[in-house]
Amino acid sequence: MVVPLNTWVLISNFKLAYNLLRRPDGTFNRHLAEFLDRKVPANAIPVDGVFSFDVLIDRGTSLLSRIYRPATAEEPLPNVAELEKPVTDEVVPVVIFFHGGSFAHSSANSAIYDTLCRRLVGLCKAVVVSVNYRRAPENRYPCAYDDGWTALKWVNSRPWLQSKKDSKVHIYLAGDSSGGNIVHHVALRAMESGIDVLGNILLNPMFGGQERTESEERLDGKYFVTLRDRDWYWRAYLPEGENRDHHACNPFGPNGRSLEGIRFPKSLVVVAGLDLIQDWQLAYVEGLKKAGQEVKLLYMEQATIGFYLLPNNNHFHTIMDEISKFVASDC
Amino acid sequence: MVLYDSGRLAGSCSGSGSSSSSSSKPPPPSLQKQQDIDGLLAGAGYKVRSSELRKVAQRLERLETAMVNSPADFSQLASDTIHYNPSDLASWVDSLLSEFAQPPTCPSEFIMDPVTNQTVVNDAWTTTNSNMPQVHQNICYEQQSLNNQLTVVTAMEEDSGIRLVHMLLTCAECVQRGDISLATSFLEDMQGLLTRVNTVCGIGKVAGHFIDALSRRIFQGIGGGSISGGSAYENEILYHHFYEACPYLKFAHFTANQAILEAFDGHDCVHVVDFNLMHGLQWPALIQALALRPGGPPLLRLTGIGPPSPDGRDSLREIGLRLAELARSVNVRFAFRGVAASRLEDVKPWMLQVNPKESVAVNSIMQLHRLLGSDSNLNSPIETVLSWIRSLNPKIMTVVEQEANHNQPGFLDRFTEALHYYSTMFDSLEACTVQPDKALAEIHIQREITNVVSCEGSARVERHQPLAKWRTRLSGAGFRPLHLGSNAYKQASMLLTLFSAEGYVVEENDGCLTLGWHSRPLIAASAWQAVSDAPAEFPAPDTHRPG
Repeated sequence: MVVPLNTWVLISNFKLAYNLLRRPDGTFNRHLAEFLDRKVPANAIPVDGVFSFDVLIDRGTSLLSRIYRPATAEEPLPNVAELEKPVTDEVVPVVIFFHGGSFAHSSANSAIYDTLCRRLVGLCKAVVVSVNYRRAPENRYPCAYDDGWTALKWVNSRPWLQSKKDSKVHIYLAGDSSGGNIVHHVALRAMESGIDVLGNILLNPMFGGQERTESEERLDGKYFVTLRDRDWYWRAYLPEGENRDHHACNPFGPNGRSLEGIRFPKSLVVVAGLDLIQDWQLAYVEGLKKAGQEVKLLYMEQATIGFYLLPNNNHFHTIMDEISKFVASDC
Repeated sequence: MVLYDSGRLAGSCSGSGSSSSSSSKPPPPSLQKQQDIDGLLAGAGYKVRSSELRKVAQRLERLETAMVNSPADFSQLASDTIHYNPSDLASWVDSLLSEFAQPPTCPSEFIMDPVTNQTVVNDAWTTTNSNMPQVHQNICYEQQSLNNQLTVVTAMEEDSGIRLVHMLLTCAECVQRGDISLATSFLEDMQGLLTRVNTVCGIGKVAGHFIDALSRRIFQGIGGGSISGGSAYENEILYHHFYEACPYLKFAHFTANQAILEAFDGHDCVHVVDFNLMHGLQWPALIQALALRPGGPPLLRLTGIGPPSPDGRDSLREIGLRLAELARSVNVRFAFRGVAASRLEDVKPWMLQVNPKESVAVNSIMQLHRLLGSDSNLNSPIETVLSWIRSLNPKIMTVVEQEANHNQPGFLDRFTEALHYYSTMFDSLEACTVQPDKALAEIHIQREITNVVSCEGSARVERHQPLAKWRTRLSGAGFRPLHLGSNAYKQASMLLTLFSAEGYVVEENDGCLTLGWHSRPLIAASAWQAVSDAPAEFPAPDTHRPG
């Protein structure tokens, strides 16, 4: 139940700031949000063995993605002209990452997510592509999913990301909070369109539904998150007039679709025991199981939201190990 | 209530700082002498001393309680408050607390355990639970050398574009090594390749200029710096079109004016010293804003520095007259003085005729970097100039500079940085369709490129340095930062939305604002005040309030 002090300060700070940004009328103080968000630039010079650069994937929607790559031993300082140099190993996982923020907050260049993505590079020996998708409430469903899909197609078509073994791009999707939700929906679209996704990693994914679940009532307001703010974010993201049983929010709910018989990536779902929406996350896992899909649940009993942002707790290390194994199992 | 474990912070700092694995910006120099910054929070963009964490946590809790108790007041707080420097979390929380009516109760001794629903003693403050390894969380902010950084935003795709970049860098490396014949053959190859590359955007667009600049360096030698001069008249024209074609200068003027306006609040005799008057584009807006301020306008003196005009014209005076006309039309008492000087370092403070009773604002838009070249004299010009600025005791000094590392000693490093900086800037210009603004703006930028690449010594005046370096230098010279807040940020962002294409982004950076293209800042604006005593170790608590 006890979280480290610096984690508490970090998450409470976010909570406070986010309260300042959400307006009761459903609008969002975007200027203040961008002012307060701590961002970091990309850096083509390796830091701790990882370098990054930004690519404008789609000019029309200003869709930027940040690419993170490991600096190789032979070339500790990459020649800047070779940022898009082909990957050299037999198998190189490419993890397409969708940052969290309940569809409204944060960016690919937010400091907390830049840090997380850099970790993932070393952990998974992967190239990480962090997608700066359009956010609510200015851009509602399905913008985030469309941007994810655009990024996926872009990644899939990069010759320099193809693994030597089969000249294909080995794609994994990963995301936390709203990013986890995006992972599910983009994976679905990918598989239906014939692009193979090798695995989904969902960290505290954001799902919900119209009814109130036991965990929501029990944990409302107890660990940084309230039902009211969850409701606000869904209202901001879902099409106007839709309720939380919309399939974007509740993929296995009354308006959801069955995944039975459909090819779908194996999933790793991480649920924090102190997250008030865990019943929905567990229901998601059940939904996958019922449809015969491969899914591994990691239930971290004592974890709160955001536990994976700072490496100062056991849950963090457990999760990182599991993610590493999940991605490595195909190599 | 979430309990946190406050007892697990190690007191001493470690030297490794390995927890900060991000490309985070280096700390402001004011924190260099302080130690014990929480390394993990630093990686998240927040600078909090470990010893202050508990205090910050308590205040966050208090704010939360207040928020729950009076939500109406809280939304007032949300909409009205001006925020400053969010990285300094302790100050930010304190400022919110001070704006908000504080509840009379202190944190309770007893709290509800959320799982058992029983009241327990609030022992979160004293728990020393140590079942978690606490490895090297704190980092020392000693004099770290500024992290090497190279920010690339690219949309480049074609193979020929990539080959061209490769060749440019290889050629530059040859130049650095002194292998002129190899460099020359690369130049020929590149000229050929240029005809086959998409020159509409990105690297292809800007490559031609870099090839030219390299040619100049190789064939004309590094003293051929007259290119950067042109005539003052030409430069002014190019500058004006650069002003029109893209928002960088407008952002600079607008942000500086806003800060100056705030600094002059309550003062009746004010004097602005503009280090580079050009056509005086910055000043009509300030004059009008002063005219409209509550309580009426002050007496405004403007001293404009600029190069002497040839052929007997006094262009400074002409601009001064135009501005005076405008001031008259809005009933602002105004006096203008022109100071003609070829170089900023030739200006002496007595020429500015500052009156001790007036409040002074010093305004430097892309000028300070020109003072960074040192000849063999003892004092480099920048130190001399900063020293006399300080002696004027200005209410505010507004500084806008290119956010780039173009003054590195190594030629290849400088070349590489410039290649990416200017290709990003050219990319941003793509959105402009107005001619001849766009074409002339490109020439303006091209002249900068040529100076950065083909000149050395006193001829190389475009010695841009990043914000982090300016912070170190200005703090060391006896200035403290005046933070630009969320109001300035918002107005800048809104202006951009109105007048510019999508893709321009304003960011807040430790109390300063930057304007960039997507995720690459290109211009940085900051405000400063002279420290009246010896330079302080760290900013005084109330640094965001000018005056």
